[in-house]
Amino acid sequence: MAAPVMKTVRGWSDLALGVRSAVLRLPGLSQVRWSRYSPEYRDPQIDKEYYRKPLAEQTEEQKFELELRKTQLIKAAPATKTGSVFEDPLISKFTNMMMKGGNKVLARSLMTKEAWGVLVHWIPWQTLEAVKRKQFEKYHAASPEERAAIERNPYTIFHQALKNCEPVIGLVPILKGGHFYQVPVPLSDRRRRFMAMKWMITECREKKPRRMLMPEKLSQELLEAFHNQGPVIRRKHDMHKMAEANRALAHYRWW
Amino acid sequence: MLKGMRRLISKVHKAKHEEQHEGQHYSLPLQDMKTIFPHGLPPRFVMQMKTFNEACLMVRKPALELLHHLKNTNFDHPAVRYVLYGEKGTGKTLSLCHIIHFCAKQDWLILHIPDGHLWVKNCQDLLQSTYNKQRFDQPLEASVWLKNFKTANERFLSQIKIQEKYVWNKRESVEKGSLLGEVVEQGITRVRNATDAVGIVLKELKRQSSLGIFRLLVAVDGVNALWGRTTLKREDKSPIAPEELALIYNLRKMVKNDWHGGAIVLTLSQTGSLFKPRRACLPQELLGKEGFDALDPFIPILVSNYNPKEFESCIQYYLENSWLQHEKAHTEEGKKELLFLSNANPGQLERLCAYL
Repeated sequence: MAAPVMKTVRGWSDLALGVRSAVLRLPGLSQVRWSRYSPEYRDPQIDKEYYRKPLAEQTEEQKFELELRKTQLIKAAPATKTGSVFEDPLISKFTNMMMKGGNKVLARSLMTKEAWGVLVHWIPWQTLEAVKRKQFEKYHAASPEERAAIERNPYTIFHQALKNCEPVIGLVPILKGGHFYQVPVPLSDRRRRFMAMKWMITECREKKPRRMLMPEKLSQELLEAFHNQGPVIRRKHDMHKMAEANRALAHYRWW
Repeated sequence: MLKGMRRLISKVHKAKHEEQHEGQHYSLPLQDMKTIFPHGLPPRFVMQMKTFNEACLMVRKPALELLHHLKNTNFDHPAVRYVLYGEKGTGKTLSLCHIIHFCAKQDWLILHIPDGHLWVKNCQDLLQSTYNKQRFDQPLEASVWLKNFKTANERFLSQIKIQEKYVWNKRESVEKGSLLGEVVEQGITRVRNATDAVGIVLKELKRQSSLGIFRLLVAVDGVNALWGRTTLKREDKSPIAPEELALIYNLRKMVKNDWHGGAIVLTLSQTGSLFKPRRACLPQELLGKEGFDALDPFIPILVSNYNPKEFESCIQYYLENSWLQHEKAHTEEGKKELLFLSNANPGQLERLCAYL
């Protein structure tokens, strides 16, 4: 009987704060798919700089915010959001998408952090390290004029590669007159980032040679996408071409 | 001074390393690395060498101490045993490599066993030894080691002559007075006799180092493998003790201090060890009673994590090579975080900086 218990707890916290919940909560209905927090819970502020700002520098709104946070309920911060200076939300999102069966340790060690007890030490086990080493090799092999053009920061390469893979316009199946038509439709930023990451991961998983490890394949694909080449970019261009071809169906969109 | 830590590039005179050079890096010529270290460097260091196109070692206290002792050795006294021990990732193997490079530059003969643990586990072909029916031969490991030994000590092989006649089988034998190089060749070409060739090399070198023609450095990494247990089994699935392996038996004789004219530098290692708990790093724990008694007396040298000066120097080295590419890594916040995450452990720091 967990659902009614949850509802009554929430009802109690509602009454305690006197804040009405924005979402209509009908009696007898419990929401399962959304967050277990009721609407008055605020997101946690992880950024250390926010709290270190001296009082003099803050505007009226920020001072009000700070005072308000002292009284409001705040959600618990997830374990993956650290206050570390080296944290990157895009890399965390990508690692989560690569994760299978909840094995975050494996996903993280493939992407960034190496596991300490790994037996095979002479190949780089992480994508970012592999990207970095390949770029260093290219750097040392290049002449001094070309060296300035070679990017060695794995994070900029990663961000730029995913940005290059994002489609500008997407296709959505719309039912009209008994048939599904692929209608070109503008995509939100979130959807575009998701599609780029999804394409990258599926490409690496499916077209990987049998004995090649994931970090090596991923680093290869990332470097190719960085230079606007490779299968993921081709898939993006295919999507654009299809959207261009189905231009006439754009009227089927009603939003 | 922590801020202005520069790298000291001294290509020629390793002998000039004094205490004031502590914490600074010096680079080794890559050609030397190929001849002196065909085996024995930690794999991540080899990757780093390949990426940076240079090999740089940091001068640290344990190595300096050892160098000081080696410079003042009395070659008429029995060989002194030095044991490098410490936590995982603190730099024992690299300190050993530093010592080996120094001795190679001083024209010593280097007997370097890269990892004792490789000889007591995962052996595909174990043969019964022809020399002694109780013992076992490991042809593959022995021949690989002989090949690397040849690369490291080319010129000595044509100078040293053996002082006894050895018979390989009915048709082949090697006469007294022929070169050591011949024995090594025989071991490499005839893989069946490789283990016996190794045994002969060790015996001859021990006998002749006392004569004073050359100075011998015995460097063994993972010496606790010699007195532990093996994972190898006979055909009837009964376990083999280390002394029943001919390679280990001969190596134990080498590590005993009944010869003079050189030094013995040993490293303990928990990483490849068998049946030892992960936290064990002290000599008593890793060597066991038998090993400790066999090595007693020895000079223990603790290799610990970086002190603040060395940590700063390491970060500066990575920044100079542009290995730390993350924008936040240059800031004080980033350095504090690296110190916290790695706890100044050299191995951990290297792995952290790899993806930043």
